[in-house]
Amino acid sequence: MSVAGIARALGLLLLTGAIAGTFTEAAKAQPSAAEAIYASAPPRLLQIRTLVADAGRQTSNGSGFLVSADGLAITNYHVVAQVALEPKTYRLEYVAADGSQGAATLVDVDLPDDLAIIRIDKHDAPYFSFDEKAMGGELPKGERLYSMGNPLDLGFTIVEGTYNGLVEHSYNERLHFTGALNPGMSGGPAVTADGRVVGINVATRRGGQLISFLVPARFAATLLERARAQAAAAPDLHDAVGRQLTAWRSALYKALEKDGFRETALGPYRAPETQAQWFNCWASTNAGATPAPRASINSTSCTSDTGLFVAADLNTGTVQITHSFAKTIDLNQFQFATVLTQLSQPRLVGGGPFRKWYSRERCQEDFVSIATAPDHPPLRVIWCAQAYREFEGLYDVALIAVTQDHNDEALVSRLSMQAVGYDDAMALGRRFLEAVQVSK
Amino acid sequence: MIWVEILSRHRDIASRHRFPGPEVSIGRGYDNDVIVDDPYVAARHLRVFRDDAGRLVAEDLGSTNGTFLDGNKTRLPRILLDGQQPIRIGQTFLRVREPGHAVEPERVAPQRWHILPVVAAVLFGAAVLGLEALTVWFGQVVEPRALNYLTPLLSACGAILTWVGMWALLSRIFAGRSHFFRHLLIALSGAFALSFYGEFAKYLAFAWTRPVAGTYEYVAIWIIVAAVCFFHLREVGSTRLWLKGALVAALLVVAISVQTLQRSQALSDSGRQTTLHILLPPSLRAVPYRSEADFFGAVGDLKATLDRDRAQTGPSPGQTP
Repeated sequence: MSVAGIARALGLLLLTGAIAGTFTEAAKAQPSAAEAIYASAPPRLLQIRTLVADAGRQTSNGSGFLVSADGLAITNYHVVAQVALEPKTYRLEYVAADGSQGAATLVDVDLPDDLAIIRIDKHDAPYFSFDEKAMGGELPKGERLYSMGNPLDLGFTIVEGTYNGLVEHSYNERLHFTGALNPGMSGGPAVTADGRVVGINVATRRGGQLISFLVPARFAATLLERARAQAAAAPDLHDAVGRQLTAWRSALYKALEKDGFRETALGPYRAPETQAQWFNCWASTNAGATPAPRASINSTSCTSDTGLFVAADLNTGTVQITHSFAKTIDLNQFQFATVLTQLSQPRLVGGGPFRKWYSRERCQEDFVSIATAPDHPPLRVIWCAQAYREFEGLYDVALIAVTQDHNDEALVSRLSMQAVGYDDAMALGRRFLEAVQVSK
Repeated sequence: MIWVEILSRHRDIASRHRFPGPEVSIGRGYDNDVIVDDPYVAARHLRVFRDDAGRLVAEDLGSTNGTFLDGNKTRLPRILLDGQQPIRIGQTFLRVREPGHAVEPERVAPQRWHILPVVAAVLFGAAVLGLEALTVWFGQVVEPRALNYLTPLLSACGAILTWVGMWALLSRIFAGRSHFFRHLLIALSGAFALSFYGEFAKYLAFAWTRPVAGTYEYVAIWIIVAAVCFFHLREVGSTRLWLKGALVAALLVVAISVQTLQRSQALSDSGRQTTLHILLPPSLRAVPYRSEADFFGAVGDLKATLDRDRAQTGPSPGQTP
């Protein structure tokens, strides 16, 4: 059920040693509007560097910008994630576009929106303000935007592009910006012609051309207010990351349950498909496969675009619903059972390396009969789950149901939930199983 | 008349000497009746003669290393010979017998082939290859190809024949006879037990929802291999069976512990059991369907296990909690 043809992988605009130095060339003339914006930017535009505390060398860098006169600056969470999760190993440093530099401290993070706020030792410095029209969602599509940052550590740059409104099929609000963002520009501001911030550079779509994404400015404004309101002592950010992740996931699964399932027909079966708007659905078949298949398999697969950067090696939060209707062509029932065995392995895919982030997988497997209505086929159900070591109350869960009413055809339904609360997973799992039906 | 027999270390007869006289002298020197080329034997070591009652007696002639009964550590100057128990001088074993020594009655010669073991071997062989072919057939979900059957079947044949050949060779060396057919029967029944267990574990995992037989399949495999080895060893020589049994059991314990350790480390690295979740035709189901509430009750209980795992593993290394 590999969903061919969708390269949905997001390229975060964080510059690490691995990609620095792989550039070829980039030099172009800049129009005069950009010139004016760029000329006023230097004291408020920052490069944010993450350093290994002991070695004093940078491991990654991104961009950021001042949003208050007393030295508060916004950047991306993924630019400072290492400091948030491992404050003893890493520290932050900033270099402003006017050449000043110094230490930076992490104040707060907003994990779901990939934002962070830091404090640097600057007073009465000029700063960026947020665009009111963009905050209210009234900015017209096609508006010219200027994105700034320090791509590939080559020096501060301004990039012209177009505002294209909200990204569709996205659970988290993101702005679609058509412009060339590059690694290292993460956390930089995208501003209107009069220099007001519309969004924060966050990612590009790998495989796309100039397709880039911004975090809407209102989330940054909210984070700024929260940072101003809190006491001087910084909260335990490691805990905050866990709490924010849990709360965000809980809201997401509640929304998924509320939106409910609609039926989609596969052979004689009716399978549940989510009604939530933030899923991308694709179908596939093995009809044209070589060597010629001896059982026909038609699949639909819906994947949520909700993967979230938690750490450099943990990108989690995807929900996937897959249904495969298999029907034998010339296989006997044992051979057909082998096909079903291959289709129904749990394949609990973690968002990062197992040893670092997860405890071991546990499974429950049984024959289940849903008694609530007569048109429910009997099922063989596999439930596998693994817990997150770092984040209490979060699990990755795979639920697989295989219909047991025929020897020669079956529906294999799969619900994969990353970073889900156990009770949310059970509630959604029950509704999912109850929605698998057969036409008599 | 006196018969002197020199024995090998396995107490087989190496040479026999017949003496018409009443007395025989044994030693390394050339003035003896029986010359023993053993550096631990004295030049004149032993004298065998008849006492007043006419019984055969061995007498040590003052050797440094002495004379012993086989399996005994007490040095004996004079030994009354019974024609059964060998005596040891230096590193050489001897037995002295009367010409009237009673031998076992003549055995009835067996028929050239017993029909039963042949039938058993053919049946086991067919069952092993049949199960193997069946497994391949059931797993064949794309275009069938002859090689898919030939390769595993030929390698199974090759493996069994190599295994049997090895044991037959050991038998030939230590027992003098290869007993190829008996070893073949043992190996085939072992192979049958292995393939049968594999299929049975799959059936248990699906029909009875008891995957434990599959998870611990390696334990069953090692036990079967150990049992097979024990029967082979018994065929090689039926002496000191308890020692062979203990040796096989010790190897079994080592093998199972090493593999358990290896699997637990692999599990802690990957977090998954390597066994598949097997599906078979629905008609094989042997347990009743559970209600949804029951199933999710069990799923809910899993949470406590997951949280216990999490508590045991603790936070990631390098993370500050």
